[in-house]
Amino acid sequence: METLVLFALLGLGSGAVIAGIALGVVLSWRGSGTINLAAGATVMVAGYVFWALRTGFFGFALQTVPAIVLTLLFMALYAVVVELVAVRPLRSASPLAKLVASLGVLLLTQALVLLIFGSAPRNSPSVLTGDVVSVFGVAVPEAQFILAGIVVALAGGLAALYRFTRFGLATRAASESERSAALAGLSPNVISLGNSVLGHVATGFVGVLAASIVGLSATTLPLLIIPALAAALFARFTSFGVACAVSLLIGISESLLYQASNESWFPTQNGSAIPGVQQVVEFLLIVIALWWRGSSLPLRGDLVERSLPMVPDQDRLAARVAPVAIACAVALVVLPSDFRQAVATGLVATVLCLSFVVIMGYVGQLSVVQLALAGVAGFVLSHLEAAYGIGFPLAPILAIAAATVLGVLIGASALRVRGVTLVVVTLAAAIAIEQFIFANPDWGGGQTGAPVESPKLFGLNLGADASFRGLDGSLPSPVFGLLALVVTVVLYLFVANLRRGDLGRRMLAVRSNERAAAAAGVNVRAVKIQGFAIASFLASIAGVMYAYDFRTVSANSYGTMSALSLVASVYVLGVTLVQGGVLAGFGAAGAVIPLILQTWVLPESRVSIYMQLIIGAGLLIQLRFCPDGLLVASATKRERRARASRAGKALTAVGAKPQGGV
Amino acid sequence: MPSPVLSARGISVRYGGVQALSGVDIEVRPGQIVGLIGPNGAGKTTFIDAVTGFARCTGSVEVAGRDIGRMRPHARVQAGLGRTWQAVELFDALTVAENLAVAARRPALWTTIRELLTNAEATRPPVGHALEALGIEGLAEAMPGELSEGQRKLVGMARAFVGDPKVVLLDEPAAGLDTDESAELGKHLRRLGDQGTPMLLIDHDINLVFATCDHVVVLEFGQVIATGRPADVRRDPRVISAYLGSAASDDIKVGEES
Repeated sequence: METLVLFALLGLGSGAVIAGIALGVVLSWRGSGTINLAAGATVMVAGYVFWALRTGFFGFALQTVPAIVLTLLFMALYAVVVELVAVRPLRSASPLAKLVASLGVLLLTQALVLLIFGSAPRNSPSVLTGDVVSVFGVAVPEAQFILAGIVVALAGGLAALYRFTRFGLATRAASESERSAALAGLSPNVISLGNSVLGHVATGFVGVLAASIVGLSATTLPLLIIPALAAALFARFTSFGVACAVSLLIGISESLLYQASNESWFPTQNGSAIPGVQQVVEFLLIVIALWWRGSSLPLRGDLVERSLPMVPDQDRLAARVAPVAIACAVALVVLPSDFRQAVATGLVATVLCLSFVVIMGYVGQLSVVQLALAGVAGFVLSHLEAAYGIGFPLAPILAIAAATVLGVLIGASALRVRGVTLVVVTLAAAIAIEQFIFANPDWGGGQTGAPVESPKLFGLNLGADASFRGLDGSLPSPVFGLLALVVTVVLYLFVANLRRGDLGRRMLAVRSNERAAAAAGVNVRAVKIQGFAIASFLASIAGVMYAYDFRTVSANSYGTMSALSLVASVYVLGVTLVQGGVLAGFGAAGAVIPLILQTWVLPESRVSIYMQLIIGAGLLIQLRFCPDGLLVASATKRERRARASRAGKALTAVGAKPQGGV
Repeated sequence: MPSPVLSARGISVRYGGVQALSGVDIEVRPGQIVGLIGPNGAGKTTFIDAVTGFARCTGSVEVAGRDIGRMRPHARVQAGLGRTWQAVELFDALTVAENLAVAARRPALWTTIRELLTNAEATRPPVGHALEALGIEGLAEAMPGELSEGQRKLVGMARAFVGDPKVVLLDEPAAGLDTDESAELGKHLRRLGDQGTPMLLIDHDINLVFATCDHVVVLEFGQVIATGRPADVRRDPRVISAYLGSAASDDIKVGEES
């Protein structure tokens, strides 16, 4: 009993950090209707800035208090920049665009921190007292209690601010109806900015205080957004008190789970506790929150003027695909070996990106779990071979089926969720899969990665180690690349065809307006499940191809931040267009564009960070100036001209008044 | 008298502490256009939402004798219950023809899968008849964002009619139209009604309702206060005082002149 209480108390520290982030999430939602994925990165920024100011990283070292003050001033400035770059230009954009903008901020900020401060975790000098108090005869750091107390006080203060001040009243009014708030003389811009500064300073303050307790790492802190989102969901993105309480409970249960993992009854494997149980619990918490809290977020009365990206027709497919396919085939034979490898990897990544085109571009749901599903397919493939001796082609079929079923189950758990909230479920699912399956020494690859045999059919090696070599006589063999090319072209045509057919139209109807789709006889849940099934299927195929491409499956390739980068790059190029998937695929890690950059332009060790920087910045620029996506904008323009010339006569005949904008 | 195509009985809806509808009975018989009128907040749109499954209600809903009261909205549509929206709600990423195509065709799952593997474009259902019925066949290739408000209304109606529904519920189709457009709309409605699609028509344009409908139901505070032929309802003193009131007395005169 005493150990339970002790570990519960030790969880207060990380619970407080989660609470700080959750408060930031709630403030973002109330201020501007954004589900702020970058709220976790706020803790990271504040932590690193404070660390740098205290330890003399910038050439001068400050005392604690001035360093805190300066850090908080910096956070206010950071909030203003984020507001001006990523929030204000999108005030009337769709919720998906707002969400993706916060993803851009997350990628950009993390890349900058990694470039400036490096990826090694830092020990931040402690701010709060190092004293301990004795609880049941065990020493517990006082800082845990102080931090938790500060967070509770912050939540109380914010709640009071919202209840009793003009600013709080204005925010509540604006989130009911921005139009009437604007008519009452309350500028939504000012309200949004105020909440943004408040959120970043509050979250940053908690980050500074907690950095010495939870550790300072640019790779782990941003992902604390997931438990924070779980807490925010329980709070319906509105209640500071609930968000804070649930966060502290999550911190406590994490600590208790850690303690329990040393108990004899805890499920173990080869003598050590099963990893990732905590992430699975967080995922289940989120699913429960969504079922319990009802079908969707409370609707904000936003002025949504700009809708989702346009979806150009897919016409003259053969004429577009053939030249690229031929170029790829030639490249797979004649280029030097590292470029041949990069082309093959680009083709595989293209298949993965096509899954984002389906679920995000066609169905309008932001799902980030696909890379994790690809990993599941790869590991299943490897284990079928290693444990049961099942090989090509049965093993990949089973692996694809298994990962697709898992994807559909995850999608089904989010069926009651409307619109962008799906990202919360899939983000938690991705982390849970990463920690629970990939990090498991038996199921996943552990530290070394799991080997995969090359595919062989009737004694013919179809893999990257086949005897047919490239022009320079080296590995990888073009055979696998050509196989990947065929698969990719087929799936590309499949996704393009989907857009033109009945299911594609129903998906776009659901994306536009779920109620109106139902009133047109569309089974909205069935369409979402079908969309999820297709996306999962594509991702699983990509996973199997990745495994054959590298002949090994390792957890590093399927990380959540890589998945977010991939989502972002598809969105930049045009999430509603198959061509966007192709370009994003060739820009993915290990593919052609990063290879070109690292060969001629950038230092090799940091190329992935620079890519993340480019994608994050590109996303913010694209959302601002070209909201449909770079490729979609040009395709839409061409299409509108064509349609206008086709229907021009008819339009004028019935006296239409075509308006300029769409 | 032929049996009703739509029979809604004892429809009651509560929103929190507000009784939005209490025990409303409305029937629509073959060939009929039934008007549903009432002052703002009387529960007209709530009635459509309840019958089509978008608002939780008590009571029974039958379409052509089949109880659909427990079905989800899309299943009610498939059972023959069409509706339009006050705000039209077109699918903005699809052309007008594609908007209609979504409503025109409901293939089984295995058909869908087969089509995904063949040329899906070939499966586009014909929608021209619905566009022609409303006189907008020239708009087939236009995007919703390029249409005027009146055209959007017509497209929304065409979408409700394209799947050959047994009965259609129209939520303020004339709102936002000018007088000429509204009169034109009335002609289209009359023709669609004569072709055999019964309708329930909600609108604020009293002239349109009285000129188009065979039967009128008047709601106030969620209850039916009058029902009957347009000529009778128009003279009903309860209707005049409750619905038309003093502010709308001009409308009565206009209505009586017509």
